[in-house]
Amino acid sequence: MLQTLSLRRQFSRRALLRSAGAGFGHLALSGLLGAANQPLGVKAPHFRAKAKRVIFLFMEGAISTLDTFEYKPALQANAGKTGPGGGTITPSRFAFQQYGQSGAWFSELMPNIAKHADEFCFVRGLHTDTPAHPQAVVQLHTGSANAALTRPSMGSWLLYGLGTENQDLPGYVTINPPPNFGGAVNYGSAFLPAHYQGTRISDEGYLPNLEASAAADLQRRQLNLIQSMNAGLAKSAQAPDPVEGIIESYELAFRMQGKVPELLDLSKEPQAVLDAYGVKPGPEGSFARQCLMARRLSEAGVRFVEICQGGWDHHTNLHQGLIARSREVDQATAALLADLKQRGLLEDTLVIFGSEFGRLPMAQGFDGRDHNITGYSMILAGAGVKKGFRYGATDELGVKAVEGRMHINDLHATLLALLGLHHKQLTYRYSGRDFRLTDVAGEVHMGLMDL
Amino acid sequence: MRFTGLIFVVLPLWGGVDFEGKVRPILVGRCYACHSAATKPAGFLRVDDRAGFFRGGDSGPAVVPGKPEASLLLQRIEHADPRRRMPRESAALSAEEIATLRRWIAEGAVWPVETLTVAPARNTAGYPQLRAKHWAFQPVQNPAPPAVTNRGWPATAIDQFLLAKLEQKQLKPVGDADRLTLVRRVTYDLTGLPPTPAEVDSFLADKSPQAYAKLVDRLLASPRFGERWGRHWLDVARYGESSGPSRNIPYPHAWRYRDYVLDAVNRDVPYNQFLQEQIAGGLLPAATPAERDRLLIATGFLALGPKDVNQRFKERFQMDNVAEQIDTVTRSTIALTVSCARCHDHKFDPIPTADYYALAGIFTSTEDAAGVRNKMGGAGLDYYDPARLLRHSAYQPKADPATLSRLEAELATAKAKWEAIRGTPEGLKIAANGRPTQQPFRLQYEKLQKEWLSLTDHGTLGYAIHGVRDAQQIADTNIRVRGEAELLGPVAPRGFLTAFAVPGAPPLNRAQSGRRELAQWLTSDRNPLTTRVMVNRIWQHLYGEGLVKTVDNFGLTGDRPSHPELLDYLASQFLADGWSIKKTVRRLVLSRSYRLASTKVSENVAVDPANRLVWRHAPRRLDAEEVRDSILLSSGRLQLNPPPASAVRALSMIEMRDNGPESRAIIEQADGSLARSVYLPLLRGVTPRALEAFDPVAQTLVTGQRDATTVPTQALFLMNSTFVRQQSLALAGELLAEGGSAAERIRRAYRRILNRLPTPQELDRAASFVPEYAAAYRPPPPLSLTLPVAAKPAAPPAAPADPDNVDRTDSRPAEPEIRPANAEAAAWMSLVQALYASAEFRFVL
Repeated sequence: MLQTLSLRRQFSRRALLRSAGAGFGHLALSGLLGAANQPLGVKAPHFRAKAKRVIFLFMEGAISTLDTFEYKPALQANAGKTGPGGGTITPSRFAFQQYGQSGAWFSELMPNIAKHADEFCFVRGLHTDTPAHPQAVVQLHTGSANAALTRPSMGSWLLYGLGTENQDLPGYVTINPPPNFGGAVNYGSAFLPAHYQGTRISDEGYLPNLEASAAADLQRRQLNLIQSMNAGLAKSAQAPDPVEGIIESYELAFRMQGKVPELLDLSKEPQAVLDAYGVKPGPEGSFARQCLMARRLSEAGVRFVEICQGGWDHHTNLHQGLIARSREVDQATAALLADLKQRGLLEDTLVIFGSEFGRLPMAQGFDGRDHNITGYSMILAGAGVKKGFRYGATDELGVKAVEGRMHINDLHATLLALLGLHHKQLTYRYSGRDFRLTDVAGEVHMGLMDL
Repeated sequence: MRFTGLIFVVLPLWGGVDFEGKVRPILVGRCYACHSAATKPAGFLRVDDRAGFFRGGDSGPAVVPGKPEASLLLQRIEHADPRRRMPRESAALSAEEIATLRRWIAEGAVWPVETLTVAPARNTAGYPQLRAKHWAFQPVQNPAPPAVTNRGWPATAIDQFLLAKLEQKQLKPVGDADRLTLVRRVTYDLTGLPPTPAEVDSFLADKSPQAYAKLVDRLLASPRFGERWGRHWLDVARYGESSGPSRNIPYPHAWRYRDYVLDAVNRDVPYNQFLQEQIAGGLLPAATPAERDRLLIATGFLALGPKDVNQRFKERFQMDNVAEQIDTVTRSTIALTVSCARCHDHKFDPIPTADYYALAGIFTSTEDAAGVRNKMGGAGLDYYDPARLLRHSAYQPKADPATLSRLEAELATAKAKWEAIRGTPEGLKIAANGRPTQQPFRLQYEKLQKEWLSLTDHGTLGYAIHGVRDAQQIADTNIRVRGEAELLGPVAPRGFLTAFAVPGAPPLNRAQSGRRELAQWLTSDRNPLTTRVMVNRIWQHLYGEGLVKTVDNFGLTGDRPSHPELLDYLASQFLADGWSIKKTVRRLVLSRSYRLASTKVSENVAVDPANRLVWRHAPRRLDAEEVRDSILLSSGRLQLNPPPASAVRALSMIEMRDNGPESRAIIEQADGSLARSVYLPLLRGVTPRALEAFDPVAQTLVTGQRDATTVPTQALFLMNSTFVRQQSLALAGELLAEGGSAAERIRRAYRRILNRLPTPQELDRAASFVPEYAAAYRPPPPLSLTLPVAAKPAAPPAAPADPDNVDRTDSRPAEPEIRPANAEAAAWMSLVQALYASAEFRFVL
């Protein structure tokens, strides 16, 4: 109840007026309290929130929601007709059925994820700006597709706003991120200090050079020498901006050597768990390994974990392609949700499943669907969101978001709010102005929150 | 331009066979199941698409219009051998159906062309305004340097432009950099290497007013200049030694293009000529075979892009490669994202789809001779097409005719046997060894195929060039509706962009592809973008950021120049200097603004935190190559003689796995190399380990600007990597061997690594660090990843014997063990490593 009040209060008009002009109050205060020396230390959120961390399951390439978790009976009724904007309306070739108390529809591609239907909050009214992967992926991750100015990624903003719970681990980990579509921009910190950047790990849990080359006390001795030189440079008037970040990166690296290898060592997991996720070597087991690593990292206190399954860009080969991709994703995602729930982590972890945009209900070629930026869906689960709930909707064909419309900026504003951060107060001054993840837009959609 | 749904069909005007009524139904009913986009184009033949049909599959065009007996289509449907007869999976065609097809072909095989009409749409309405107004499309001016109040400060015109803006904002530039900082800065910026202690001493000792200009001229004349600035161009040219995603096929001859670029930059080939060679090389006159080779190699610029060879349709494969070439050419030279107009009129810049396809016609009239062809789900040499590789003039066939004819016969037999059994029930039956019965037939065929190539193929023998040449067919191409290769819109006559005017550019020679005139259009003195884009790139490499920050995008969504007059002044001077890159670099580094200190002043930070007005010199982080090369140079192990070719030369054009034995061999070769980083093998997706940590270039798109992140993986690389420890141990050994006091050794270490002497406090700290570390030292247990390394790098392994059953295990490269001989060596090694790990080492101030 208290939380409800505080949230409502935060987003009331009066509260906004009150907080205007005091934009960085929270961060400035924590700065005074010594956070400047501990940039990654835990910081209080702007208001109380259930979610403490995020796991983002990024379906790179744009999963066809109309074939997986967005049931559109009107497609069947209108099959073969010309859809809005041209193209033949083409229903999914996969059978849908309802699951759980909430009766959410899932296609036969996702039988395991469907079992968690009552945990889900479907966000159905999403839309974005650019129907091309590079821009859309970058916008999904940074809020802006403007190439002229690279923005910090959402994980970096979160880390900047909340710090991290485990100082021995990177606060923001991205596993197997796309090497293209912006590449490092998608987990970069841009103009935020570099220690807010995501740490990239391969889908085999490999981070090069992680194994310490000398005994810890010897390496610490050497590190002290390095850091004394770095501190000297940091004090000089010519200090390049990243020196503080370099100092921090050494401390983090030193601690990571001790903790990360065991955390990413999946062989320590019981066989039953490995089987539940479907962990196996090779590319087929990639997403399962990522899911299990995500659980272990989140449990250890990593603030933001992103994992990635590519190969959803089905302009052609939609049918077989979806079968192959879903096979890789369905079991592992379901196992991750079950595991989080069983460990009580779903109480304070927000899980996001989705893509940079959606796909059209009209056919492209003989067996494909083209990009759709005017209306698409994501799945949210876990801390702070309503369960067994649908928020927003596209039109009956699934072309355009017509209800509960959420732009990427709105999605970001809402995600930050779910973690207790006010998107208008989470600012960073750069090049003469205050920047935010949501730039000059963004509206918090409280309707999907479990207050 | 917007495409309406209307389809105009050109109907035959004579009373021949009705294609839609009689012929198409046969193709749909009897052939589509195996030869259409919806299924699989078996043998790469499509009969559902006009272009695919006439272009034909692996065996050539399906029909010869007017000649039924010469048409493969009839030969196959009438074949006497049921295993060869089409359709293979159903009953033979009826006599009536065959007669219809025969008549249709005899009458000329008329397949009506379907084109979609196009109507002007909203997007283009604003184009005239954009053409007239957008700064980058306007002619380059040659503004006079503005007057400044502080007339004593500027050393060159560049300084006047910069100071005028600073004065407008009431900002003062900081003081000049000290000479030690300057010699380190300019040596790094021009060569990618730090100065040696001797070079520093010689510069500091030279008190003449010309000392700095002399230093600059020495650096410009050094071959190291081309290695650094050639690398900048290789970033822009998205250089890579393999085809990249989907199926990664090595480009074994790509190194020739790399060497061409380095050589051209070192010889200061004028930039306009440099571009002409890379775009139109083979169409330019050449006096000697060597010059002909050089010009063909230059066109590697167009050929060496990432290609998705795992692609069913030739038409799409070609159009994808054309798009990649258009993107590379336009973003690298004029910094416009022209390839956005492939599917629709450009949303921001005045580039209609028609302009894109006007350029596309130039590239569809050009044969991409990278040596690869498309195939879905191929294996082995399936993606290799030696006919699509240019030939080096040094090639001499070696084998004697007798051997060749014997081998040719054996190969034909093996091929026939393999094709006879392939996919038959008998062939798929599992033999005693657990493998399909057909497998030995395939292996035998592939073995002979390789043997044949090793005797006859200029590619396999190493005399090939990845490049382009004019295609057999020179023609305009159709606009493709929504970018879909098969959906033909109207024909777009070949030509150039309409976004801006280039007065006096020669018209396209319609008898050729038009690449030569495209290159002339791009490099015309009156092209408003090419010179601006290039001087901006040069500026960025010397000042940290471009005058236009988006160096690869001068369009509407790009940045606007911070100093438009300066940009134009530099572009004009670039022309006046005959497009000389070296003269432009020289002009910039001799300015006073380049020589500023990097000191921060809080008043200036408050007004211009990003230093866009250049009130100080922006410190920059070393790039991946500089980090590695600097470590090797200071450890005394860098080999400056360029190594021959590339390790990739030894690979076949067969798919390789990122984690497979080929990659492993290449990585180990790179690990062992002591050459400059620009010469390391650069397969796409397989980055040499010593380059991984510091944001190596992505090799996928034109990249004018590297990332410079700060992440813990860099710290881990410097603390734990074999490479850094190996070099630290080498330098420590040298320091110990040279003798002298501990203090002298420390001074030497500082000078070699940081180019300066330690402060007294630093000296004290280091002097106490060494004995303390030595006293605490215990030899570490071997790293778990340490594997024995062969005395010499492993040769790249042969292709997998069985492409159906590729080993998928991770083949992790070996790590040599780094073990100091005793506690003292360990302590010195640790000190050296700490200097490499210092933040100071990785910045140029």
